[in-house]
Amino acid sequence: MAYPNELIRNFSIIAHIDHGKSTLADRMIEQTDTVAMRDMSEQLLDSMDIERERGITIKSSAVRMFYTHTDGKRYMFNLIDTPGHVDFNYEVSRALAACEGAVLVVDATQGIEAQTLANVYLAVDNGLEVVPVINKIDLPSAEPERTAQEIEDVIGIEAHSAPKISAKSGLNVDQVLAAVVKTVPPPVGDPDAPLTALVFDCFYDNYKGALSYVRVFDGTVRPGNRIRSMATGHEFEVTEVGVFTPAPMSVDELTAGEVGYIAASIKSVAETKVGDTITSADRPASKPLPGYKQANPMVFCGIYPADGAQYGDLRDALDKLRLNDASLSYEQETSNALGYGFRCGFLGLLHMEIVQERLEREFDLDLVTTAPSVIYKIVLTTGEEEMIDNPSNLPPVTEIEHLEEPVVNATIMTPSEYVGALMELCQERRGIFMDMNYIEESRVRIHYVLPLNEIIYDFFDQLKSRSRGYASFDYELKGYEKSDLVKLDFLLNGDVCDALSTIVHRDRAYAKGRAVAEKLCEVIPRQQFEIPVQAAIGGKIIARETVRAVRKDVLAKCYGGDITRKKKLLEKQKEGKKRMRQVGTVSLPSDAFMSVLRIN
Amino acid sequence: MAGIYLHIPFCVKKCAYCDFVSFPEGSVPQSYVDALLTELELVARSGSYPAAFNTVFFGGGTPSLLTGEQMQSILASLTAHFDIRESAEISMECNPGTVTPEKLAAYRTAGINRLSIGLQSTHDALLKSIGRIHTYQQFRETLQSAREAGFTNINADLMHGLSNQTEQYLESLNAVCDLGVQHISAYSLILEEHTPLFDCVERGEITPPDEDRVADMQDAGIDLLETRGYYRYEISNFAQEGYECRHNLNYWHNGEYLGFGVAAHAVVREKKWTRYANVSSLEEYYRLLTRGKRPLAETIRLAPRDEMFECIMLGLRLVRGVDRAAFAARFGFDVADAYPYAMEQLRKRAWIVETEQSIALNRKGLDLQNESLGFFM
Repeated sequence: MAYPNELIRNFSIIAHIDHGKSTLADRMIEQTDTVAMRDMSEQLLDSMDIERERGITIKSSAVRMFYTHTDGKRYMFNLIDTPGHVDFNYEVSRALAACEGAVLVVDATQGIEAQTLANVYLAVDNGLEVVPVINKIDLPSAEPERTAQEIEDVIGIEAHSAPKISAKSGLNVDQVLAAVVKTVPPPVGDPDAPLTALVFDCFYDNYKGALSYVRVFDGTVRPGNRIRSMATGHEFEVTEVGVFTPAPMSVDELTAGEVGYIAASIKSVAETKVGDTITSADRPASKPLPGYKQANPMVFCGIYPADGAQYGDLRDALDKLRLNDASLSYEQETSNALGYGFRCGFLGLLHMEIVQERLEREFDLDLVTTAPSVIYKIVLTTGEEEMIDNPSNLPPVTEIEHLEEPVVNATIMTPSEYVGALMELCQERRGIFMDMNYIEESRVRIHYVLPLNEIIYDFFDQLKSRSRGYASFDYELKGYEKSDLVKLDFLLNGDVCDALSTIVHRDRAYAKGRAVAEKLCEVIPRQQFEIPVQAAIGGKIIARETVRAVRKDVLAKCYGGDITRKKKLLEKQKEGKKRMRQVGTVSLPSDAFMSVLRIN
Repeated sequence: MAGIYLHIPFCVKKCAYCDFVSFPEGSVPQSYVDALLTELELVARSGSYPAAFNTVFFGGGTPSLLTGEQMQSILASLTAHFDIRESAEISMECNPGTVTPEKLAAYRTAGINRLSIGLQSTHDALLKSIGRIHTYQQFRETLQSAREAGFTNINADLMHGLSNQTEQYLESLNAVCDLGVQHISAYSLILEEHTPLFDCVERGEITPPDEDRVADMQDAGIDLLETRGYYRYEISNFAQEGYECRHNLNYWHNGEYLGFGVAAHAVVREKKWTRYANVSSLEEYYRLLTRGKRPLAETIRLAPRDEMFECIMLGLRLVRGVDRAAFAARFGFDVADAYPYAMEQLRKRAWIVETEQSIALNRKGLDLQNESLGFFM
């Protein structure tokens, strides 16, 4: 028996990192008795270690709660928890599309941040009703009235009557539950119409295969139904449908307005794409739900096993991660310096870091990663265009008419005292100033157009350090622009080390070349011969440093008591050499590649 | 050829660079001497040792903390239990801050015929900074007394890499040559973990000279000593003709030796080439001996392949290198046949000197001995 639509509320929570999203979700789960107290843990919806540690949400998840309102009715709440980060913008947009409303949580001590704003706009674009909530009012530095005013000024929604809560202590969380009932509209949909269900995330289960997380808009889906992916045309037989409690619990059916999952022996999450519409194979809908697009990776880097023998392990680990992360792409590549590895594509920097961390942590791999790169557009002298994501693949200069690089529209929100420092940062990163306005007396919003390759490495860290952590940042791809780019190569003892090559703006090439060459001299251990370290653009050497030859490598003393110890020492030295990367005639420690990344 | 090593693990004060097993004491406790005698007896009774010995070496620590009587009793016990040859070299290490003319005379009478005096530098400020308890003047007095006591075979230890001063180091070497000692050990400082000096460097209080500067110092030192008539016979050891340290030569020939005392090592030919290490805790040493047990911490029985590598690793420290005939007699084949890959690599780099008698590293090969040995592993 379908639950009456007028008693269903589907909503997300939007908040900046640390503004209390997961804590509020925990309190709502508790106050609706969804999970027994003894089973509660903090950040209940963030099940990955890395999510809990970093206080971020990477995967969407959902939970069904039942709330008895003051009108005596029992409402079904489906809370869809979304990743907040710009890298996962598309996932967020699909999760929001699955809802009728969004709870906006703003920290009363901090105010609105750039990413929050981006997500609120996304919610409004998707036609969602926004329920503002002002959090952390129990902190001494909280300014709830000022925060409410800021919400009204910046977003343009009434906020003075917004619930003022402490998610931590649970204060006034009941007001949030009531506001959801009042403000978020119930879903509309026809359980008897042809099935349309929006996939907003997917998860790989070892026993059930890929689970599609769906919001059913029209129709009903039951085990045994044949369903069709409207994006790929693939058909599957439904083996199970269920809801999140938050643990998956199978139910008889999902009907229009409900949120849950569909299992259909789907082998990989790649076959159940986020944003896809699932319909019935027997009675298909005439057109899919709007908004589907293929998520394209924006940032690329080479990932290699530190120990070449672990190549197979790395491949298996990537295969497993991809089961659960359809936006991760990779293909095999070979580097003369690093041997066999993978060129991996990511949605953004955070995504890249997370994948690297999960590979190292969950699969116990030692990795060497090359400098992150964006996709460059190459216009050849023949007029043809080529896209490359690996600097090594750049054609000879003579064949290139010009190069184009991706640029982004960046929004920075910051207390006004840091404007100078942040503009300097953007300027250093070849940013073009667009405009700046005061959100309120002491808070400023700045717009810049920035080359994507200038922000993929440490821009965010710099932004945070130059604003003492107060500035926030968001960006969206603007397009490609012509740029005076050059490929910067590094030669070790005369041989180009491909894994160190990068594409940089000509104005930056000299400084960068010198800095990297100096750094390499520090990290390359002395060897039996002198090693020239050169930076080059095309055939032209722009910097040269030298790793001097080792002159003494011998134990000064060795007597009767030292022999066993000395033997062990030699074995250790030998072992260390085995782990080095051989680039032409030069041995490089794996961390040489990482240390070069840290230069700016 | 076989040797006996005795460890005296006590020092008035530990030097800043030292990571050897030693305990701070102003004298050697009689209980330790008694324990040594017990250990000697235990090993003698076991019957598992070489037939005769040509060298004895008292190392430390500071063996010169032993009184004349203590030394006398140990040597008496040694000769009672083992066949120490008439011509044996009997050495002891000696710290200039710990001896008197009387004590030196007593050592000589007891049978000691070679002294190895720790000097390190002739510059008092430097000596003080590394925690030595003596001055250069005290060294000269000790040397004088030693000669008066009848010692004619004397080594001085010197160290470089302590400061940036190449001139200071060469001055020290010249001064010691002028004094006419028969043997000089010239080491580069090794920064060992868990030493005060290492900690100072870690904390940035001391900046050791850079690698190239130390290499310059060492090279200049080798040249100086050779022109002064001290020929280099091992990586860090120099001697006048006929005054090489026979005890240490035995180590580098990978010969048998017994070791007595805390943390002492031994190697003997049993069914296999077998290395023993004594416990390094004083309490444990006493405890085991009281119960009539040998104070062993470790016994390693080596496969022939490993024994062979040891012969290379030790033999290639010698400027004369590995004796081909001795190697062939020991293992049944020639060095070059046993290690074709290593030989090829060393020849390619021109780090090797091959003659019918021996295979040796040249100066470059010795400088990079660790790399050279890598090819044999």
